[in-house]
Amino acid sequence: MQKFFSNRRLVMVVIILVICFGLMAGSVSLRNRRSTPPLIQQFGNDIVGFADGIVAVPANAVSDGMSSVGQLFNTYSENRALKQQVTDLAQTKVRDQTLAHENKQLKQELKLNKSLTDYNTVTASVYMRTPSAWQKQLVINKGESNGIKKNMPVMSGSGLIGRIAEVNKTNSKVELLSNTNDAANRFAITLDASGKAVNGIITGYDAASGELIMGQVTSKAKIKAGTKVSTSGMGGVTPKGLYVGKVSRVGKDDYGLAQKIYIRPAANFNDINIVTVAEPA
Amino acid sequence: MYRLSRLRFIFPIGLFLALFLDGSLSNLWAKLYFAYPYSMVSELVILWLVLSYFFEQDISIPLIPFSIAAGVVFDLYSSGILGLNIFLFPLIVELTKVLSRYFSPSFLTIIMIFFVDIVVLMTLTYWAYSLVGITSMGIGDFLLFSLTPTLALNLVYFVIFYWPVSVLYQHALNDQRV
Repeated sequence: MQKFFSNRRLVMVVIILVICFGLMAGSVSLRNRRSTPPLIQQFGNDIVGFADGIVAVPANAVSDGMSSVGQLFNTYSENRALKQQVTDLAQTKVRDQTLAHENKQLKQELKLNKSLTDYNTVTASVYMRTPSAWQKQLVINKGESNGIKKNMPVMSGSGLIGRIAEVNKTNSKVELLSNTNDAANRFAITLDASGKAVNGIITGYDAASGELIMGQVTSKAKIKAGTKVSTSGMGGVTPKGLYVGKVSRVGKDDYGLAQKIYIRPAANFNDINIVTVAEPA
Repeated sequence: MYRLSRLRFIFPIGLFLALFLDGSLSNLWAKLYFAYPYSMVSELVILWLVLSYFFEQDISIPLIPFSIAAGVVFDLYSSGILGLNIFLFPLIVELTKVLSRYFSPSFLTIIMIFFVDIVVLMTLTYWAYSLVGITSMGIGDFLLFSLTPTLALNLVYFVIFYWPVSVLYQHALNDQRV
């Protein structure tokens, strides 16, 4: 022991610790402030991302194959239920088209080129998930060259799952809403309480029940369970009308003054293979 | 003579395969690995480094430089937070070397050393992350919900991969002598 902690070694250990924490603190703050990482880091990440594709693509293919075998078993009952939905959907779709068309004409009439609901989407597949107990983060295969920018919202299947945390040229990192990191899940959201719009932000994630929390809601409106929640488009980066989930229950905050709304997210954060990044038009 | 052996291909390829498989498996089996409240961290890289150290026979693989390289890639690409695994991976290799001096290598002693490595790695990661503010998990939760499941998962990895990797190394090294 005495030999191990000789003067030179001790100095080395201290220096390494200082460098280690310096780098970590530096990269955490850099990541929060800058829109893209330094060029050299981007370059390295792009090369590694390319190599990762060689492993990730076959792995994803195998898992897709396995899940399609699994899905085969409940195809029959699912098919029956879906047929009923399809008839409904056709009507909704036609109506949606008509409304979208009308909306466009009305916007032209008003000379309103871009509103909060206009957005383009980029579809990407997931390379990997960070193997860590604390970082809920994905790496996707689209980056700056496909028009992805930091802080864009990311959706999967039915609903919002997170936002872009780091952008490289050909791949980027997505922080999931389930991340407990402070800034990860602050999305401006809105819901409709019998005609009245209730605005707020996502303030947290309840890992135990898998629900998102919309805290500090001072509105006195009665909110029913099952109400659909979507992004409100406030703040500028996130477009309006991205589906988040449904209200599962409404409670009071710790002091009993404001309402606290629990939202069951539409997407499963642990089952994500394809994601859609929304960029405001 | 690392430069002349077949390990100069097998070792780096295995290392980077392990690095990417960690991420891919974490995504594919996320339902299993991150089922609330547990979170299991896949540490195939450490497994590969430890097994390589024990199976290299008289060829000394430059494990420290490779572990630093793996650490850099892990930090930049997977986690995005630079500066932790660059130091932790080589530290684990050193720790393995120190521990192996006291035991003659066999399945049971290697599994024990691997166990100690994972505990040290996870604990140091947890400590560093709580200092930097990435996590605010309590120590009890860490022990129960992160460390224990991670150990269980990686011991399963170990049992699955021990024989195949040992055969691979023996094969690669035996052919060399012919």
